[in-house]
Amino acid sequence: MKTTRILRRLSQWTVFAVFAFLFLNTEYKDNDVLPYAVNLFLRLDPLMAGAATLAGRALIGLVWPALVVALLTVALGRFFCGWFCPLGAVIDAADATVFRNTRRKGAIPATWRRYKFLVLFFLAASSLFTLQWVFLFDPISILIRTFTVSVFPALNLVLHRIFDGLYRAPGPVPLISEPVYGFLRSHFLAFEQPVFRTSAVMGLLFLGILAMERYQRRFWCRNLCPLGGLLALLGRFGLFRRRITEAGCTRCGLCESGCRMGAIEGDVAVTDPGECIECMDCQAICPEEVIHFSGREGRRPAAVDLTRRGVLASAALGAVTVPFFRVEAHGKARDPLLVRPPGALPEGEFLARCTRCGECMRVCIANGLQPTWFEAGIEGMWSPILVPRIGYCEFNCTLCGQVCPTGAIRRLRLPEKRKTKLGLAYVDRSRCLPWKGQSDCIVCEEHCPTASKAIVFKEERTQTAGGEWRMFKKPYIDEDLCVGCGICETKCPLTDRAAVLVTSRGETRSTGVLAR
Amino acid sequence: MIPGGCPFSRRRFLQAAGGAAGALAASALLPPVLRAAAGKTVDVAISSAATPGDRARGAVALLGGMKSFVARGDVVVLKPNIGWDRTPELAATTDPEFVVAVAEMCLAAGAGSVRIFDRTCNDARRCYVSSGIKDAVEQFARKNRVEDALRIYHVEDRKFVRTSIPNALSINEWDLYRDALEADKIVNLPIAKHHSLAGITLGLKNMMGIMGGNRGQIHYRLPECLVDVHRRVPVALTVIDAGRVLLRNGPSGGNLADVKPFGKAFASRDVVAADGVAAERIFRLSPRDVDHIGRAMDSGLGISSGAQIRLVEG
Repeated sequence: MKTTRILRRLSQWTVFAVFAFLFLNTEYKDNDVLPYAVNLFLRLDPLMAGAATLAGRALIGLVWPALVVALLTVALGRFFCGWFCPLGAVIDAADATVFRNTRRKGAIPATWRRYKFLVLFFLAASSLFTLQWVFLFDPISILIRTFTVSVFPALNLVLHRIFDGLYRAPGPVPLISEPVYGFLRSHFLAFEQPVFRTSAVMGLLFLGILAMERYQRRFWCRNLCPLGGLLALLGRFGLFRRRITEAGCTRCGLCESGCRMGAIEGDVAVTDPGECIECMDCQAICPEEVIHFSGREGRRPAAVDLTRRGVLASAALGAVTVPFFRVEAHGKARDPLLVRPPGALPEGEFLARCTRCGECMRVCIANGLQPTWFEAGIEGMWSPILVPRIGYCEFNCTLCGQVCPTGAIRRLRLPEKRKTKLGLAYVDRSRCLPWKGQSDCIVCEEHCPTASKAIVFKEERTQTAGGEWRMFKKPYIDEDLCVGCGICETKCPLTDRAAVLVTSRGETRSTGVLAR
Repeated sequence: MIPGGCPFSRRRFLQAAGGAAGALAASALLPPVLRAAAGKTVDVAISSAATPGDRARGAVALLGGMKSFVARGDVVVLKPNIGWDRTPELAATTDPEFVVAVAEMCLAAGAGSVRIFDRTCNDARRCYVSSGIKDAVEQFARKNRVEDALRIYHVEDRKFVRTSIPNALSINEWDLYRDALEADKIVNLPIAKHHSLAGITLGLKNMMGIMGGNRGQIHYRLPECLVDVHRRVPVALTVIDAGRVLLRNGPSGGNLADVKPFGKAFASRDVVAADGVAAERIFRLSPRDVDHIGRAMDSGLGISSGAQIRLVEG
C-alpha cells in the first residue's frame, strides 16, 4: 500500500517544480506581457485571499482559485499541506536531508498546535478591522518573498562567483565551464545580480523556520501556520480521512510515532482530522496494512484543541491592536520617499491588499522595487517602494501590475502607465554639478524618457567656486511632464546621494489626479 | 568560408562585388597626382540609396568594399547604437536593416565571426528587443544558417577589463569590454543624432558603448575621454546611419516630431573624418563647432583638418 505515498511525494515534487518554473519565469523575457499566470500560487491561497478581501473591503476577482482550494478542502480535508504546499515540500525536503538522522528529544508540547489557530483568529480580527498582517505568517507569501529577496539572489551570486572563477582559470577549464554557464545564464540565472534591502533578515527568518525541524517535524505547519489552521478548520469534516480496520490492528504504535503532524495520539485508531495532512505515511508503514484512507463514514472527529476563551482573547487582541497602528504619525506626515509602484492603489487599500509576496520586486526589470522597512510604518513593512538609487521604473514596462496577485498594484496598459506619476523629481541645486558651477553634466536630461522631456536644461551664467563667470547647462524639472520614474536619480553620476531625487509628491494614485 | 553554405543571393553578391570592383577600378584610374596626395587624404563615402541596407552597402562599396577592411578569418565586432528602449522610427538606435547589411558584408568578406553588442542605458533586454536589432540579426543568422558566425549578445560585467590608456588626455585607465579589445576589427555603426551635452553624437561618441563603470562621470570631460577610448580599440571602419535623424532631445528622444528623414549613410576608415563630414552635411556644423570632434582632430586620432577629406558620393 505504498502507492499513495509515492503519489503524494510525486505531487509535492511536481508542485514544487511548477512553483520553481513560475518563479523563474516571473521575469522579463523579451516580451512585454508575461505569458503565464506566474502569480498562481498566491491566488490559490485562501488565507491571503480572505485577508485581502476582508481588509480591502472589496471582492477581488483575481483570487477566485483560492475559493476552489477552500471548497476542495471542505470535501477532502487538509490535503493542501501534505500534497500541495510548496513550503511544506521544502520543509519535508529539509527533514529528509539535513535532519534525516536527528533524534528529537524534549518533545514540543502537543498543546502548542493551538497557536496556529490563535494566530489565525488574531489575523482574521485585525483584517476585519482593515489591518492586514497575514503576510507575516502566510506560507506562500513567505516562500515567494524569501526566494525573491534572499534565496535566489544568493544562489545567483554564488553561481556567478564560481563560474567567474572558472572563467579566469587557466587551460581548458573555461572551455568546459562556459557552455554550462551559458546554459544556466539563459535558463536559470538572473539577467543582472539582484540586490534587496532586508534580504539577510528574510533569509535568516526562513532558515529559522527550517531549523525548527530540529525539534519537531513540520514544526511550522503544526504550530504556527495560520493557513494550516484555516485549512484544519475547513477540512475537519472532510469525507476523505484515515480509517483503521480495528480487527487486524496490533497497536504497535508505528503510525503514531511516524506521523509527521502528530495527528494520531493516544488511541491509534483516532485521528485528529484537522491535523492530518493525508500524507499517507501511516498507510505505507503499517505492517498489518490495516490503515486506509477513504470516503466512508468513520469515527466523528474529536473537538479542536481550542478554548472559547483562547479564541475570543486572540480575536480581541487582533481587533484592539488596530487603532494603535492607525494613530501612528506616518499616517499624517507620510515619508516623502514612499514612492509606490505604478498603478498602486491609494495607501490604505494598497496595504490592505498587498501580500508582501515580492512578486513585483521579483519582476521589476531594473531592480528598483524594494521591500520597505519602516517608510510605510510598521504596518507597511516589506511592502514595495521604488528606491531609485538602486533602480528606476522602466518607462515602457508594465510588469509589476501584471504579477500582483491581489490587484494592490493595478494592471495598467502601457499608454496609461506612461502617464502614471509615481512622484516627482527635484534637483538638489546645492549638489548638482552645473548648478553649483562645477562642470557640465546633464546625464539626467539625457536619460529622461518622456516623449517631451520632463527634464530640460537652460544655459545660464554661474559663478564657479574660483570666482569666474561661466555658462552652464542647468537641469530644470517640468512637473507636468515628470512621471517620477527615477531614472534621473539612478543615473546621476554623483556616487553617493544623487543631485536629482524623486519623492512621492504629485503621485497619481492619491486622488486619481495630480495632487501637489 | 561561411559554415553552412553561402548565405547570399546571387543578386546581392553581384551588387556588392560590382560595387567593390567599380570602386577599385575608379581608384586605379585616378591621376597619379591625386593618388600621391592621398597619402594624407582620407575617403569619406556618402550614399543616398533608397533603403538603409542599400545605403550601408553603397557607402562601403564606395570605399572599396568590405574586403578593404576585413580580412579572411577576422573576428569582427559591430558596434551599433542599441542604447535606448526605443523603436527604430524614433531614431535613437541604429536601424536594424543597416546593421544586418553590414554584418552580411563582413561575412561575405570572409570574417570568421561577427559579434554585435552594446552597453545600453535602459534595460539591455528591452533595448535589444525594442530597437529591432536583436530580432533582425538573429533572423538573418537563422535564415542563412550562420548562427555560429554571427551573434548578438548582452555585455557581461565580468568581461570588462581594466585597461590602461597611455598618454591619455583624461582617463588613464578605464574598464573596457574584452571582446572589443580582442577583436581583429571593429566596425562602428552609430546613428546620427542630436545630443544634449555633446551637441551631436556620431562615431566618436558611439564607442562609449564598450565602456564599463560609471559612464556618467566622463561627461565632465567628454571630448578628452572619447579620444582616450579610441586610442585603445581597433576601429577599422565607421558607417554612420543617417536614414532618420533625431534633431532635438537627443540622445534618447522619444518624440516622432523630433525625427527627420535624411536618407544618407556616411562611411570612412577614419572616424574623425566620418564624423566631420556627417556633422557638416546633417547638422550644418563645422567639425570645429563640435567640441569632441575638434578635440579629436587636435589629438592626432585621425584627420587634423577638413582639407584632408576626399568625398566619394554615390
